[in-house]
Amino acid sequence: MKLINESSKTKIVNNFIVGILAIYGISQKSFQLDDPTLFEKIVTEVISPVQEGIVASKQSITSLWDNYLLIVNTSKENEILHKQISRLERDISSMEEIRKENLRLKKLLNYSDELTHHKVLAQVVGWDSANEFKVIRVNKGTRHGIRVMSSVITDQGLVGYVYRVTPNYADVLTILDQNNRVDVLVERTRTHGIVEGLFNFKCALKYVMRNEPVEVGDKLLTAGVGGIYPKGIKVGMVKDIARENFGMTLNIEVVPSVEFDKLEEVLVLVTQDEEEVSN
Amino acid sequence: MNMKLSQMMIALFMTIALLIGLEIVTATILPLFGWHEYRLIFHVLFIIFLAIRLDTPLVPWLVLILQVIHSAFSVEGWAIGTFAGIIILLSANYLKEILHLTTAFMTMITVQLFQVIWFVTVTCIICLKISDFSKFGMVLWSFVPGSFVLSFISPLLFWSLERIWRESSESTRGVGI
Repeated sequence: MKLINESSKTKIVNNFIVGILAIYGISQKSFQLDDPTLFEKIVTEVISPVQEGIVASKQSITSLWDNYLLIVNTSKENEILHKQISRLERDISSMEEIRKENLRLKKLLNYSDELTHHKVLAQVVGWDSANEFKVIRVNKGTRHGIRVMSSVITDQGLVGYVYRVTPNYADVLTILDQNNRVDVLVERTRTHGIVEGLFNFKCALKYVMRNEPVEVGDKLLTAGVGGIYPKGIKVGMVKDIARENFGMTLNIEVVPSVEFDKLEEVLVLVTQDEEEVSN
Repeated sequence: MNMKLSQMMIALFMTIALLIGLEIVTATILPLFGWHEYRLIFHVLFIIFLAIRLDTPLVPWLVLILQVIHSAFSVEGWAIGTFAGIIILLSANYLKEILHLTTAFMTMITVQLFQVIWFVTVTCIICLKISDFSKFGMVLWSFVPGSFVLSFISPLLFWSLERIWRESSESTRGVGI
């Protein structure tokens, strides 16, 4: 009597082959840096414009909803007048949005004047679809001079670094991600530490000795060590310090200076070498 | 009923299209409306559906294809999910005699069970990769709220996938291809 039929044998073989492939893939996987395959590049380049389109149309839809759909119940005799008002309001609303955007971008560019790198302005078009990774996708890539490990900032502070890049899009590993470790300095005391991502838009400051005079409210800046981030970029602020009775280091909770839940535009810092490569 | 290869390719294409649509919902649309934490990891439901409902030796390869598509939306990549998918396939194979997805409630319970297997596997691999098991609880917790939402909507998604793969919902284990 046959204990295993042909179909079961094929299943076992397929499971085994795919399982081995997966284990090989896991062994090669790095959460700090990634070189996307040609297939991943193609899929990203094809799908990301859809994401970009959704982001771009959100503002228009919101404006339409606010300025048009909510007034459809107005009386007929005032319809023409209301339409005119609606159109004007929509124009004002759009202008207000443009004004706000201008202010935001001006602020961003003024801030970035202090830095010596070439800056590439990019729009956030998506977030990583997995829970455990805090990664954003921006609409600029190698064609715009961006390379892996380029620093990403806003006028508020540090966002992260470029993890993987395709010709027109880049994935940025934010400082909220547990795989991103930023060497920082406490501005007031010049104490060194490492910021790591936690959950709920918070980070942890690690490897600060118990005897360091760090206080709640202290500001953290990049230390410029490690070759990824320039020195002096705002990272966050100390929110809570837990002084346990054991251990050599402090447990410090940090609030990032960037409001990640409201992130719309970012600046990618490109060094001269990266620019030359892109040219 | 045996499915022809051409039918299977069409079903696979439609499944990929649906997966891409739902990945865009998770990666772009929900964050636009402020849903940043506890993301809905839809591809897990697709893998669980394939494991439970399809009775074909090609399922591991289908899992691999879906994971490669998922990797375009996540730095998680294809490998970790594929490995977890194989674990799900093996588990489903052993549990097939007791799986009876005849009601929406049973589907939710079963999906929740397999999600736990999935998330524990994925979390263990991630913690091994980053050499830090101190974050095991935090990483696992990040899955929990979203997993309840996914279980709740799984009957609807399974219904859609059953239409795509042309299977009877009366069948528990699905049919051969």
